[in-house]
Amino acid sequence: MERQIRYQREANLEWARQFTKQPGGERLLSCIQCGTCSGACPLSIYMDLTPRQVIALVREGFREDALRSKTIWLCASCYACAVECPQKISITDIMYRLKREAIRSNLYPKRFPIPVLAREFCEMVRRRGRNSEFWVVFRMALRSNPFVLFSMARTGWDLWRTGRLSLRKERIRRINDLQFIPAASKEVD
Amino acid sequence: MSERNGEVRIGVYICHCGVNIAATVDVRAVAEYAATLPGVVVARDYKYMCSDPGQEMIQQDIRDHQLNRVVVAACSPSLHERTFRNAVERAGLNPFFFQMVNIREHDSWVHSDREAATEKAKDLVRAAVMRVYFHKPLERRRVPVNPDVLVVGGGIAGIHAALTVANSGKRVYLVEREPTIGGHMAQFDKTFPTLDCAACILTPKMSAVKEHPNITLWTYSEVVSVDGSVGDYRVVVKRKPRYVREDLCVGCLQCIEACVFKEAKFDDEFNLGLSKRKPIYIPFPQATPKVVVIDPEACIQLRTGKCKKACLEACAERGAIDFEQKETYEEIHVGSIIIATGFQTFDPRRMPQYGYGKYPNVYTTLEVERLVNASGPTGGQVVTRDGRVPESVGIILCVGSRDERTNRWCSRVCCMTSLKLAHLIKEHTGAEVFIFYIDMRAAGKGYEEFYQRVLNEGVHFVRGRVAEITDWAMDPSEEGKLIARVEDTNTGFVRRIPLDMVVLAVGLEPQFDALNVQRLFGIGCSMDGFFLERHPKLAPSPTYTDGIFIAGVCQGPKDIPDSVMQAGYAAAEAIALADTGFFELEPNTAYIIAEECSGCKTCIPLCPYQAITFNEEKKKAFVNEVLCKGCGTCVAACPSGSIKQNLFEDEEIFSEIEGVLAYA
Repeated sequence: MERQIRYQREANLEWARQFTKQPGGERLLSCIQCGTCSGACPLSIYMDLTPRQVIALVREGFREDALRSKTIWLCASCYACAVECPQKISITDIMYRLKREAIRSNLYPKRFPIPVLAREFCEMVRRRGRNSEFWVVFRMALRSNPFVLFSMARTGWDLWRTGRLSLRKERIRRINDLQFIPAASKEVD
Repeated sequence: MSERNGEVRIGVYICHCGVNIAATVDVRAVAEYAATLPGVVVARDYKYMCSDPGQEMIQQDIRDHQLNRVVVAACSPSLHERTFRNAVERAGLNPFFFQMVNIREHDSWVHSDREAATEKAKDLVRAAVMRVYFHKPLERRRVPVNPDVLVVGGGIAGIHAALTVANSGKRVYLVEREPTIGGHMAQFDKTFPTLDCAACILTPKMSAVKEHPNITLWTYSEVVSVDGSVGDYRVVVKRKPRYVREDLCVGCLQCIEACVFKEAKFDDEFNLGLSKRKPIYIPFPQATPKVVVIDPEACIQLRTGKCKKACLEACAERGAIDFEQKETYEEIHVGSIIIATGFQTFDPRRMPQYGYGKYPNVYTTLEVERLVNASGPTGGQVVTRDGRVPESVGIILCVGSRDERTNRWCSRVCCMTSLKLAHLIKEHTGAEVFIFYIDMRAAGKGYEEFYQRVLNEGVHFVRGRVAEITDWAMDPSEEGKLIARVEDTNTGFVRRIPLDMVVLAVGLEPQFDALNVQRLFGIGCSMDGFFLERHPKLAPSPTYTDGIFIAGVCQGPKDIPDSVMQAGYAAAEAIALADTGFFELEPNTAYIIAEECSGCKTCIPLCPYQAITFNEEKKKAFVNEVLCKGCGTCVAACPSGSIKQNLFEDEEIFSEIEGVLAYA
């Protein structure tokens, strides 16, 4: 990886300030960069940045670096970091906030299956009010790595044959009533 | 071996010191070996000889086996020789029939080969056994102690020590080099972690010193010579001329107003040159004593003698100004001395990469203390030298600390000072503040909590030592700024951070003349140049020179609470010495065999303590045992071999050498 000097104009301190004022980010400033979160995290070995680094980036205003990282998507929400954190920082909540913002700003790592899955899942629920497993997985595969469909084909075939996989697109009645909920939550956020 | 002392019955005790000795030395084998040496009646090893049961074991053996000599092989005599001498004495033996062998610092701690270390321990024990054979009973001598105390240095440590001693009813002389007491603390704005204003807590103590009936305060004065020893030090103090009579000046400051210099144009030392003063000045409004001083380098009258002397006219009524004043010398007698001469801050010009002295907006922490201070040169406005309120400020830690190229030690106060200044700068200006740190060291009551407070105020903590400060912009956003180039090891980036103001957290180091002070008082220095305490843990204020104590940063970097604690400790030691009324001297003094003395006087100028006098009547030299420190210089120099030294008699030393060289 090529290393580049970071100029201070790339740092968005105003964003960092807002971040620490909103739910989930309040205790972020208390971070003493001890790295307990990264040590406790069962997935940190697969991450491009450790959770500690993500917090440092947020605090220093490096918004894009934080939002583009795979780390926030690999977080499995096991809360091990939050349990161990000596400063009682709710790191998992911070990860969720970053995920939301990454989707909204279209800054998530492209073709990385987890954000694609999250996006397709939300999209489908928003449009139809129900999650049709086959179609969510199919769309995720198409938008991240279509070749994965070949390796999944056999399993899919077996599931379909035994009636465990439906190709039907399900939907609920009165979809407008459901769409009221995310709209209200957006107002709060 | 001679039978001079009757039947010699020696007991030898080998200490494990937990595992400190036993891990490297086979103590059981050493004890078994010692038992075979001539004269040894009993030899044992034990886990902790210095403990109560260990001492009890020795005393029991003295009674059971009629021992009349004791050897303990354990740690350094400076730690426990007194312990064992007292133990032996309590069992009815003369304490000087005891010899200590150091098999910890001299053996187990410095070797790793167990077999060789065990052999070395045997050699050392054998040497002691052969030496103790010739020991003689000796008497400790007592010298009276003058209860008066001299305190050198009028910073917070000196002030606190002086007040504590004076409150116990003893007379105290407080000598300060500067025109006022208060030291560095008087320059600070607020004190961490509670943010009390430094002046509010210091100035009442300063005036208490001035008003105290038991304290003689001599400012603008220096100790020039120290003679004598514990209980009776004779000290000469030079009182520099301030050209103003302290007894007449009331501090009305009209002379300053009247001075022919209408504009102040000389660097104000108290404000570190951030403001100007006149040739006649007072260091700061709360200076104690509140007496003006004339700078002879700046005053026209003192330089040329051709001034219309407006100040003299302004003070005509009191007549306090005296251009004829000369330096005077005062001789005082004191029983003990507390040295609290403080520190100087690191000169950051020694690290050119930070541009101090080159870029006007690079400051030291001490300068910023003055800037944020309401009575400072800017009235508490934090502004750069070009008058702007900074939007971004960087504080660089460990400037002249933790660095093999300058000072190796951690200066201990800079982390907290920087946290405090970060808080104050943010409060005064609302600037973005960056702290560049290697480790945050906030060890102290309430310190970590203060660190958390500053973290939550949104100060940026960039972990990394700044490589350089430059004004070379590589990006339009950096024009007109100072740029810190640093690896931020928290985010993992090499960053360039543009700053309006750079603050260097300069470390603490010994005063420029610490070496002279050390020689003047005959005390030691540690490797780093700070004054050496007798024991780093158990005697951190007494020195190896009896009756001289050290307090404050002159002993090593420390903050205000620690300085005050050490000053109180030094005062308690001085009070205890004065209240005991006497001091017991070690009997390892030299003595002259008068019949053999040829009267050549070789020894007299060699004695560093002026302990030898010449008796003109008898034509013989004579050693004053109170003054003799037992250095042995005269013993070695005497051409006729007629000077001997207790505990270091020829036969004692020669048998010790024989013992250490005789291979088992």
